[in-house]
Amino acid sequence: MIKKIIFFVGLATLTTALCMADVWKAPDQEKAKERAKEVVSFIKEYKDDHKIARKISLMDAGISLKDVQDVYFLMDSPIIKDREDHYGPVRFSHKRHANLTNDCSKCHHYRPKDKAASETTRCSACHQDSFNPDHPERIGLKAAYHQQCIECHQEQAKGPVDCKGCHLQNVPDHKELVKLPDNPDAFQVTAECLRCHDTQAEDMLTTAHWLWKGPSPYTTGHRKDIMHGKGSTALNNY
Amino acid sequence: MDCLVCHDTTGKYKKAGPAAGMPAKDVDLKLVAENVGHSSRASCGACHFNGGGGDAIKHADLSRQLLEPSRNCDVHMGGYDFTCTECHQTRNHKISGRSSSVPVAEGKVTCQDCHSDEPHYCGSVLDHHLNKHAETLDCNVCHSPVFAKCKPTKTWWDWSKAGDKNRKSKKDKYGKPDYNKKKGEFKWGESVVPSYAWDSGYMKRVLIGDKVDINSDVINITEPVGSIKDPASKIVPFKIMKAVQAIDADNDYILVPHLFPRNKEDSTAYWKHFDWEKAFQDGMKAVGLDYSGSYKWKETWMYWRLDHEVMPKEMALSCVQCHDSLKGDKTCNRCHQDNRNIDFKNIAHKGTDFSYMKSQGRDVEHLINKTDYINFKKLGYKGDPIIHGGRFTKMPMGYEKHE
Repeated sequence: MIKKIIFFVGLATLTTALCMADVWKAPDQEKAKERAKEVVSFIKEYKDDHKIARKISLMDAGISLKDVQDVYFLMDSPIIKDREDHYGPVRFSHKRHANLTNDCSKCHHYRPKDKAASETTRCSACHQDSFNPDHPERIGLKAAYHQQCIECHQEQAKGPVDCKGCHLQNVPDHKELVKLPDNPDAFQVTAECLRCHDTQAEDMLTTAHWLWKGPSPYTTGHRKDIMHGKGSTALNNY
Repeated sequence: MDCLVCHDTTGKYKKAGPAAGMPAKDVDLKLVAENVGHSSRASCGACHFNGGGGDAIKHADLSRQLLEPSRNCDVHMGGYDFTCTECHQTRNHKISGRSSSVPVAEGKVTCQDCHSDEPHYCGSVLDHHLNKHAETLDCNVCHSPVFAKCKPTKTWWDWSKAGDKNRKSKKDKYGKPDYNKKKGEFKWGESVVPSYAWDSGYMKRVLIGDKVDINSDVINITEPVGSIKDPASKIVPFKIMKAVQAIDADNDYILVPHLFPRNKEDSTAYWKHFDWEKAFQDGMKAVGLDYSGSYKWKETWMYWRLDHEVMPKEMALSCVQCHDSLKGDKTCNRCHQDNRNIDFKNIAHKGTDFSYMKSQGRDVEHLINKTDYINFKKLGYKGDPIIHGGRFTKMPMGYEKHE
């Protein structure tokens, strides 16, 4: 009996493995997705260093760019996502930011009080749920991300500061929104889209993808023109 | 207006062949409309992968391969699953990006937008030199040393050979046809070394009706504007689409043939009647220009920037693959004291592994051990800048004549 179970479990694992092999995956992104799913245990107590002391202790610990393990990660924590889910994950190039700021203490602004703990931790180790009654001083993860990213981007006048600069907005499920008869024709479909998206349609009418022509600011002798494109004057040899 | 062609997420939407953009009859439009979402590599690619009439024909660096690319084919899309619009950011349905082939542009996209002007920051001793290089070289010179590395692209298209009903199409080493009666003679390339040229970001173009020099050997329909003397110009890799096409011999402009039959009664389309005279008369009438009645076949080139297919950093060109002066034992120690615990030779020599690429089936055997990869003399240098000085630095670096 046990042998039989082992056989079937083995078979199931093998089948899953084989099926998975067929599904294309982007390896770096996959790794980042897996990491983003992890929730680490909450650090209750932190060492209350001021900014300079923190910076010095990081330097004393010899922490540099070379210690950046996760070069790239996704901000897509279930701590936020399980509560609200309006936007896609944010790509974060950790090493790039470490290099640009050249100051780990900008983000790693406190360390755990426990001396045995690692010098740096994830944001989500200290910032989890907002309004945690046991730690009212601690802002939640979403607030921490936003405060950290936006304030620094504003201060440096570099990097996005608006929602869509970092996030791709989730598209609401259109199954309930779209009201179409069975087997609609193409014009019915467009009319249905435009019922809500008339502004977008107006925008579309002025674009290169609609007109197949438009401004040519990078074409010598035609930098001020607005009528060149495949739909008017462009030539090719293919 | 067709919203679905860009916003389909089901992969089931398609257009009916030549039907003025209408959807194919068998598409369940309701299902597609109920599942709309953001654009994707698949929806953008439905048009842009097929430029020139088929997969990878026009764009060397865009093909259906990018639907599910390997990391080595394109690190952004294959490693990190980037969609097109993550780089080609859009606002109000205007999509940023500068095309080489068409003049219209709605904003530009550069590698530096994300990677900054100092993109090398891993803390290696080479960072400084690589960032200096980034002032002169486009990223893809090193980071995508061959184009069409995952799928062959068309590099030669001779329209003058079209119409030969006796000529049979033969398959080349990539399995691609060398002839099509409607279109003429073709050549294809896979893993091709790009053509390098100075580029300031501006293009010179021949537009419909523009006079061309009918006596020149080659007419450039598009070409980059740039100079070795201009600090803002960079060396940029291009695919050059080379072709033979017709010029009006008296009016000195490029002719536009009418190819595709408008309907069953069409009496002039080349793809129906194989008569260039009729096709030119009709085509030129359609664009409102005179056709003199005499034409000449001319070689024309189009420069297309290579901006995609960026490879993982381990596969970038090494120093020695361009600088043959570093080929021997003397490398960084031409200038730097050789008393540190650093393997100079390894740093200068470790780069794109063409043997590995060959083992993966790529057509790159001739590139193994190649040096002077970008051809310094052709770009206006006296030779290897390490020996002869850079474009603004005239001091040769640590070179001894008697060496």
